[in-house]
Amino acid sequence: MSARRIAALLAVLALAAAAPAQAQFRLDLNRLVDTAKNIGKATGEIAEKEEIEIGSDMAARLLGAAPLAADEALQRYVNQVGRWLASQTERPDLPWKFGVLEAPQLNAFATPGGNIFVTRGLVAQMNNEAELAGVLAHEIVHVLKKHHLKAIQKTAQVELANTAVTTFARQDRNTPAREKLLAAGSELYSRGLDKSDELEADRLGVVIAARGGYDAYGLPAVLQTLQAMNPEDSGLALMFKTHPAPAERLEALEKMQPTLDAYAAQKQLAARFAGTARR
Amino acid sequence: MRAALALFLLLPGLALAGPATVVRQTEMRREPAFDSVALARLAQGAKVEAMERRGGWTRVKSEAGEEGWVRMLLLRHEGGGAAKQGESGVVAAINVARTGTSGRQVTTGVRGLDAEQLANAKPNAAELKKLQGYAASRDAAARFAGAGELQAQSVAYPKEGE
Ligand SMILES: [Zn+2]
Repeated sequence: MSARRIAALLAVLALAAAAPAQAQFRLDLNRLVDTAKNIGKATGEIAEKEEIEIGSDMAARLLGAAPLAADEALQRYVNQVGRWLASQTERPDLPWKFGVLEAPQLNAFATPGGNIFVTRGLVAQMNNEAELAGVLAHEIVHVLKKHHLKAIQKTAQVELANTAVTTFARQDRNTPAREKLLAAGSELYSRGLDKSDELEADRLGVVIAARGGYDAYGLPAVLQTLQAMNPEDSGLALMFKTHPAPAERLEALEKMQPTLDAYAAQKQLAARFAGTARR
Repeated sequence: MRAALALFLLLPGLALAGPATVVRQTEMRREPAFDSVALARLAQGAKVEAMERRGGWTRVKSEAGEEGWVRMLLLRHEGGGAAKQGESGVVAAINVARTGTSGRQVTTGVRGLDAEQLANAKPNAAELKKLQGYAASRDAAARFAGAGELQAQSVAYPKEGE
């Protein structure tokens, strides 16, 4: 099936859904249709404006699962650390936004266009600002390299099209097709990215933290903390399901040893971290 | 148990302490540097007690009772407190720690962020607006970095395929 055909089918589905559905649903669906249309374009690239819109929708959905922690000082602190790191990258002027989610589980997320989240549970396991920087830098790489955006494109091509086709073949508009379309982005967060994307985010994340003037071992330190925990713990279940095992990530980071060691003596800022994140 | 876990979570620097295994044969050195004297050779699988990290090095005590520094990336920890006892209670411990230190009310009924919640999540526009409100400008972030004496460095990404 051609990409144009997929886009056409999705457009039909959008029209069928438009009348009675909620505004939010139409918005999401139209964006996904736009995404599908873009797959048909020669370049296959999604414009930055669309990237940011899709990312905002996905961020709103994550925030629907867990709200922001009600701690303005902590939220502003994480935004400053994150924006400083993002300023050291090739996309310094995206509308970067960082948030601590009120969730006891240990995890971190990125959505396209520059939305980065870390859970309260993960922050509670960190010892200093360099460790926070390491985790944020890993997530920043997912945005820079458009890991999620590319995965959504793939999903839009395969799963959404198949669903739309079978739905229309059966003339059944009450199938979970619409829900599937909406869940496509969110599903990514329960399914995970490719392992190679995660390991790349670790390698480049270490570089970005070092550029920001932080002890480059911040991320490996967090991975070692995670590695020391019981993988059966419910607080780790989703992260361990969606990421390579911490031991494997640590082993892969041995390739980065020259960079890690060259910038190991940089700032950790344990006191500043404790003052805001451990009150 | 819960109190102990909460305490563990509140003490920075202890996260890496505890029993660990060396994944590959390596030297244990007197100082955390490659050019420092090698005190002993640790075999693959050797058990050590990890004590503290400095840069890429972790200070350990060997089974023979010697103390020295080994490469941090070569250690796999066996759980420095909050681990390896079935459900280690991380989630519960964090709630204890939060109420204990801040005095703020823990929101009840928040189960947190699992796969099921993510799948069923509805967009929360109000929280998205809050998120936007907390954003920092590049200038503000640069001032924040300056206050922490963070100095930007020019560091190249690794080459593709490396
Ligand atoms: Zn990741």
